Amino acid sequence: MASKEILRVSDLCVDLFTQRSVIRPVDGVSYSVAAGETLAIVGESGSGKTVLNFAPLGLMPTGVNVDLSGSILFNDTELVGIAEPALRKLRGGSIGTIFQDPMSALNPARTIGRQIAEVSELHMGLSSSQAESRALDLLKLVRMSDPDARLKQYPHELSGGLRQRVMIAIAVAAEPQLLIADEPTTALDVTVQAQIIALLKDLQKRLNMAIVLITHDMGVVAGIASRVAVMYAGRVAEYGPVGDVLVEPRHPYTMGLIDAIPRADDAPGSLFRGLPGAPPILGAPIPGCAFAPRCHAAIESCHITRPALVSTVQPLVSAACPIINKHNHGGAYVQH
Amino acid sequence: MKFLREFLSYTSSLPRLAIWAVGTFLFLGIFAPWLTPHDPNAQNLLQAHLGPSFAHWLGTDHVGRDTLSRLILSARTSVVGMTLVLVLALSVGVTIGTVAGYRRGWVEEGLMRIVDVGLAMPSLIVALAVIGIFGTGYWNMILALALAWWPGSARISRAVAVNVMNRPHIESLRVLGASPARIYFHHLLPATLGAVLVYATADAGAVALAIATLSFLGLGIQPPTPEWGQMLVDALPYLESSPRQVILPGLALTLAVIGFNLLGESIALNRVPTPLSRKILRQRRITAAAWKKA
Amino acid sequence: MSSTKSVLRVENLVTRFKSVERGKWVKAVDGVSIELRPGEIVGLVGESGCGKSTLGRSIVGLERPQSGRILLDDIDLSGLGGRKLRETRRAIQYVFQDPYASLNDRQTIGEAITEALVIIGIHDRTRQRRRVHELLDQVGLPDTVAERYPRELSGGQRQRVAIARSLAVEPRVLICDEPVSALDLSIRSQVMNLFLTLQKDLGVACLFIAHDLALVRQAASRVYVMYLGKIVEQGTSLDVYERPTHPYTRALLASIPSADPRIEATREVPALLGDIPSPTNPPSGCRFRTRCPSAVEACAVAEPPTVWVGPGHGAACIFAAQIRATEVVPQPEPQRLPQQLSA
Repeated sequence: MASKEILRVSDLCVDLFTQRSVIRPVDGVSYSVAAGETLAIVGESGSGKTVLNFAPLGLMPTGVNVDLSGSILFNDTELVGIAEPALRKLRGGSIGTIFQDPMSALNPARTIGRQIAEVSELHMGLSSSQAESRALDLLKLVRMSDPDARLKQYPHELSGGLRQRVMIAIAVAAEPQLLIADEPTTALDVTVQAQIIALLKDLQKRLNMAIVLITHDMGVVAGIASRVAVMYAGRVAEYGPVGDVLVEPRHPYTMGLIDAIPRADDAPGSLFRGLPGAPPILGAPIPGCAFAPRCHAAIESCHITRPALVSTVQPLVSAACPIINKHNHGGAYVQH
Repeated sequence: MKFLREFLSYTSSLPRLAIWAVGTFLFLGIFAPWLTPHDPNAQNLLQAHLGPSFAHWLGTDHVGRDTLSRLILSARTSVVGMTLVLVLALSVGVTIGTVAGYRRGWVEEGLMRIVDVGLAMPSLIVALAVIGIFGTGYWNMILALALAWWPGSARISRAVAVNVMNRPHIESLRVLGASPARIYFHHLLPATLGAVLVYATADAGAVALAIATLSFLGLGIQPPTPEWGQMLVDALPYLESSPRQVILPGLALTLAVIGFNLLGESIALNRVPTPLSRKILRQRRITAAAWKKA
Repeated sequence: MSSTKSVLRVENLVTRFKSVERGKWVKAVDGVSIELRPGEIVGLVGESGCGKSTLGRSIVGLERPQSGRILLDDIDLSGLGGRKLRETRRAIQYVFQDPYASLNDRQTIGEAITEALVIIGIHDRTRQRRRVHELLDQVGLPDTVAERYPRELSGGQRQRVAIARSLAVEPRVLICDEPVSALDLSIRSQVMNLFLTLQKDLGVACLFIAHDLALVRQAASRVYVMYLGKIVEQGTSLDVYERPTHPYTRALLASIPSADPRIEATREVPALLGDIPSPTNPPSGCRFRTRCPSAVEACAVAEPPTVWVGPGHGAACIFAAQIRATEVVPQPEPQRLPQQLSA
């Protein structure tokens, strides 16, 4: 990759300790993101895709203790074991975040102008009047209609799409090098979704940001990401360029996911394709392949030894599946 | 029984001090007659104003009654009074609140305006006015306090009931064609009661304090029934010679009220999870470390 | 329309709410007429805030409509009251989006389903037990689930339980309000297939309310498209999805992202102008005109009537016939209406 690597996560494990139990929602995950590039992390609820990104930033609910192991290099700064003050400086500074529900992330009692200005004051050391004018620029940047009037409005006066634009303005206020977006379009209507995706793409180009996009929507992945990591039960099942993974999935789970998306040529009234069973409940790490119980191709060893994430025939794509990797020399794996 | 279980599961995560204070208060209140070392009303002028001794652990008062026994029996007076007031206030309040929450519309509007009027007047003033009209006496005091307290529980019950009624599980019952009685008695009332009982804990301290206040003013519990406010009045003339007689009932009352307030407050904040204790964290880490080897 | 007798007919339904602005009303559903035939799955799609959920809730009586008629097997529900209404309307059941909230967390699954049986007057214990077993089996759950509490089940299982419970009262119509949008992708198809099987096996008609257009396309035989409280287009799935005629439907369909990056790279994102307007002050005439690429002055004058462009395929747009004939949305560039973006 020609551009500079911003984030490198290697063999990350996250253990969460609560009053009742201990779980490992992230179990040995590795990936990297370069400047100006978007990596999509795809998975279902409980796949660990959110914990993976927010636990290292210290963004976990109170009452939950987090242990990290492995390494997260952000611009040569190690984030595993970093002190809270240093982390606080990064959050909202060189790392911006967007959440699924903009309403709960915004302060309902403050004008949006004030909330955007605050970030610039905090992270760029601007005076309050400088920050105000920057807030206006930022609203223009996220292509908000009538930005002057919006500055004085409160979150509840805006529609969902506009609120998400405000969240994005706040996230990019300090010109972050990395933007972590957690399901940024899930709560929005399709018509607004497309606009937000277009906006993120445009901002990425202008600021040369790296984006980590957490989503479960393959359409969003196809629209914005250059690479994708498919997660299942805390592990990466398949990892590679979007053009390969989405078009020619190799891991049985990815195959099932993509196959489950209704297609335009499906006859009305025909049965939906999908995967059998349900994802495992988080707890202790699963000894074999976590997907084996739902996998049509699973053999006995799948339940015993954990498959490693290794490159497939297509060298840029790696998959954690011994069955398809066995077929490595004989060409692509054929679904039966 | 289900809401009782819910109530108990709540209490497990509350501050120790509050649990101890309230627990002791309730225990003394319930078992007082078997716990008092002396007859609390037995006067013996020869033994008046005694200091602590083996026979009288906390001394005696101006007519020679055993202070410890009177303190213990006062807890009973308080607990019984408080329970009566809360039961009366909650029955009226919860009924009005849930009916308002169930019916909505003009029924709700009407009921809640009455509640607003009740809430607008300070509880103690209402109580004083009622006692002023009906005269002093135990039951008059109970009724007066209940009358002063029900609007608060009505307001809370209505808020809870409206919330419960809007939950999809009640809506799905309506779609199933369940009768209003089924929805009200099987679902709305138990759910509301559970939540309101929890709020009532915070109120219990205030009621105990109000009983003591009224008795102190001579409008509540009448002598010779031992009661903390009553004991304070009795001991006041001897404040300088034996301050212990003033301090002890005051302290008991303060502890009980603080206990209930702390309890109520921590219940209100119960949603905020507490950080893990070191011991639990260590155990959890050991579990996780075992995984790493595997 | 078709001669087959409808099981559910909604005529000119209006449901309004008090607006946040004082003294104003929001017509969430504004004169909607729809119809469901026995054993048919009908889709109802639109953006959030278009009134599709309010329509569904009004049909089952969770909202009180201001005017209009709801006919179940030609019985006008507005003429009934009290117990009679409850017993008649029971034939229409509602499946909620959030399967966790729609079950009482203090009841076991068995208790919840039994309660539905008690409501319809089945008091015999053995009969209850047998029926619970039957119903769980029907939705593909093992018998052991009956002893569990909702919190012990996964989202997909809970939704199956919710469906089993509504089936307990032997409904003729199911109104499903986003029944799978809270579920994971790999579970969604399982629950969708359950709806398809139930419809086939029991002949239950289904009004499927969703914002996921692709899902509705495959499940429903007919579709209604709603915008700001009104039906703007209706027709068979094939008609609406292959030959969309209302400019709004076209924009909506064009916004669906594809999971294929090769298509995504070249896809033109339609520029819908701004956000959906506030339903408190809907635009005059055609409600879509403020965001419509084809709007002309005439659109602001009168509400466009439904133009029938094919058998059962109608669109409330004055250009409907023209769009259908040319497959092009007219774009009168120079004289565009002054924008009213009241978002």
